Amino acid sequence: MSAILLVAIPLLVAFLSILVKKYAPYLLIIVGLFNLVMLFLLQDGGVIIGGFDQPLGINLLLNLYSRIALILINALIVVIACLNIKDYGKYGSILLLAMAGLNGLVLTVDLFNFFVFLEISGIAAYLITSSNKKPTNTFHYLALGAVGSSLFLFGVIILYAMYGTLNYGAMIEAIAANNNYAEVVLPFTLMFIGLGVEAKLLPFNSWVKGALGHSNTMSGPMIASVYAAALSFVLGRMIDNLFLFQGTLLTIVTVLLTVGILLGDFMAFSSTKTREILLFSSVAQASIVALLFVNGVVAWAVWLIIANALSKTVMFLVINKATKEVGCDETKSLQGLFTKNILVGLAFTLATLSVMGLPLLVGFMIKLNFLTALAGAGQIWLIVAILIASLVEGIYFVRLLVKLWYKGENEISVKYNLSFKVVFVVIALALLAFGSYTAPMNQIDNSVDAVTEVVNNG
Amino acid sequence: MKNLFGLLLSLVLGAFIILALNNTAAFPAFGEVDLADRVSEQYFTDGNVAEVGSANIVTAIVVGYRGFDTLGEVTVLFISALGVAIIFGEKKQERLDLKFKPNFMLRVGSRVLFGMILITSIYIIFHGHLTPGGGFPGGAIIASAVLLLYLTDDRFRSNVKGFKILEGIAGSLFVVIGLLGLVLVTSFLQNFLPAGTVGDLLSAGIIPIIYVLIGLKVGSEISGIVDNFLTEEESA
Repeated sequence: MSAILLVAIPLLVAFLSILVKKYAPYLLIIVGLFNLVMLFLLQDGGVIIGGFDQPLGINLLLNLYSRIALILINALIVVIACLNIKDYGKYGSILLLAMAGLNGLVLTVDLFNFFVFLEISGIAAYLITSSNKKPTNTFHYLALGAVGSSLFLFGVIILYAMYGTLNYGAMIEAIAANNNYAEVVLPFTLMFIGLGVEAKLLPFNSWVKGALGHSNTMSGPMIASVYAAALSFVLGRMIDNLFLFQGTLLTIVTVLLTVGILLGDFMAFSSTKTREILLFSSVAQASIVALLFVNGVVAWAVWLIIANALSKTVMFLVINKATKEVGCDETKSLQGLFTKNILVGLAFTLATLSVMGLPLLVGFMIKLNFLTALAGAGQIWLIVAILIASLVEGIYFVRLLVKLWYKGENEISVKYNLSFKVVFVVIALALLAFGSYTAPMNQIDNSVDAVTEVVNNG
Repeated sequence: MKNLFGLLLSLVLGAFIILALNNTAAFPAFGEVDLADRVSEQYFTDGNVAEVGSANIVTAIVVGYRGFDTLGEVTVLFISALGVAIIFGEKKQERLDLKFKPNFMLRVGSRVLFGMILITSIYIIFHGHLTPGGGFPGGAIIASAVLLLYLTDDRFRSNVKGFKILEGIAGSLFVVIGLLGLVLVTSFLQNFLPAGTVGDLLSAGIIPIIYVLIGLKVGSEISGIVDNFLTEEESA
């Protein structure tokens, strides 16, 4: 058995699924479960493709880091697919391709192969947002995404012209041997911008508002949780193994990300639309994650990605389902949503409080630990910025929660299916449980994704 | 104002890129790369040509060494075609009217041409491992033959369902061949057939088979896209 199956099987089934369209969503769920089982059976290590070892051929790498990312991605896709089997069944083939693309993106250690998977998962994402029925917004996303991936490709081309290889390990060694960071600033900047578009980093993320502001129960969690998590993971891998920002570039990136955190939370603060509040909060969180990777706080960045993906899944599902039935996502018109859906309300509240980082919830442990790590690194200004952002975040989330819990003038009734409730409760309990039981979180350290070591030692 | 700003930004970025690359010692001038310290040199050495068995070195790299990328590119086209179909609607489609009435000569003449174009595409696909060409250009030529029929006959519609089936099966077989490599030898997409004599029509192991599959897949996908663009939802 080999990790290549995590990409090959979804692809095979996606090709076959257009022959039996009706069964595509069921096939998707079966393949997702198969991948999850595989992820527990497969052993760590590199995978050779075509019988050509690096640097001639393409290699994949399964290590603890990619395993965590893949389990999260595949599990969430299965959950989202199960919940939307009726309404968005015809997107089954596309979700299969998205799964193959994201799995490949996380596994590959070849820069051009990475671009190919970026294309596959990118086009799948545009099509997923086309289910919002807002063609202009989807087109906007497509245009930005295409420019972003072209810039990424341009960066890869320049690197290839300089060092003559596409393999991560060989590239990292060649750059280290050359030992002149000024020479790689241009390609790294281009690649960072390219990935920044998909990873929702400011100022490359103007598509997010259109794509998520009109999202539904399928596209919302897919883009805000699954894609956000996958892109954060691969961006983190790039930052920590390849980019290793230095000098002016480090300053520019740090400032950009810090502004991203603050702006994201301020924009969420000033919005009255529920979905916009959630999406701007995701923008801020994506910047925090990237900032942690830049500062080498890898372990807590990983946990933050997972916690955010889980919380945002609950939040987007709750709000998008309600919006669909009420027909509007102004917080005013959703007032009193939880008066009749107490269980759903509790789960939503726990997810929100976890994102805010309140004690007893997993978000608190993560925030405490990464702030401590940043303090250890002497990044006092970053801590101040994150704390200010957290304060703003606290205000708008509490304001939102109060609105949703207290009855308004109009009574609204939204029915959540049992399957939705089960997902909400399981995730909320997980957020609560890992808030106090933190032993597994301390097991990974900041060198969890040292790509070169693994590649070189086989 | 917005446009002007955009233009300025592009110019500044362009100047920045040119200056940055000009001042980088590691970035070689065009055509002045020393192949000896490159990975790509290993693609040219004799041992490797025999290993893959393709007389066309580009094909050896595209389908041999980096076959996994090619599978990815095929998928990119597949998902794009899928997207076009979803956006244009999945209800029953009917032909768009042409602005002119194609006469008898045009319709018959184009059918004669259709056969010739198809034969050219088959030649290009089958010789992909020997001469420039292969599955992607060959497939595009197949689709251009179908486009010709669409443009010269306002009642023509290809068998879209047949194309869908062909597309699905060709794609699956590509992955299945990859998996056979995993099962029969050791790794995905590894060659499990004899490489043969370099330059023979039947050589290079699985490469010609993969190129035939790619040709069929690309041809049927682009033909499907052509059909999507030249039809509209039936007005009830």
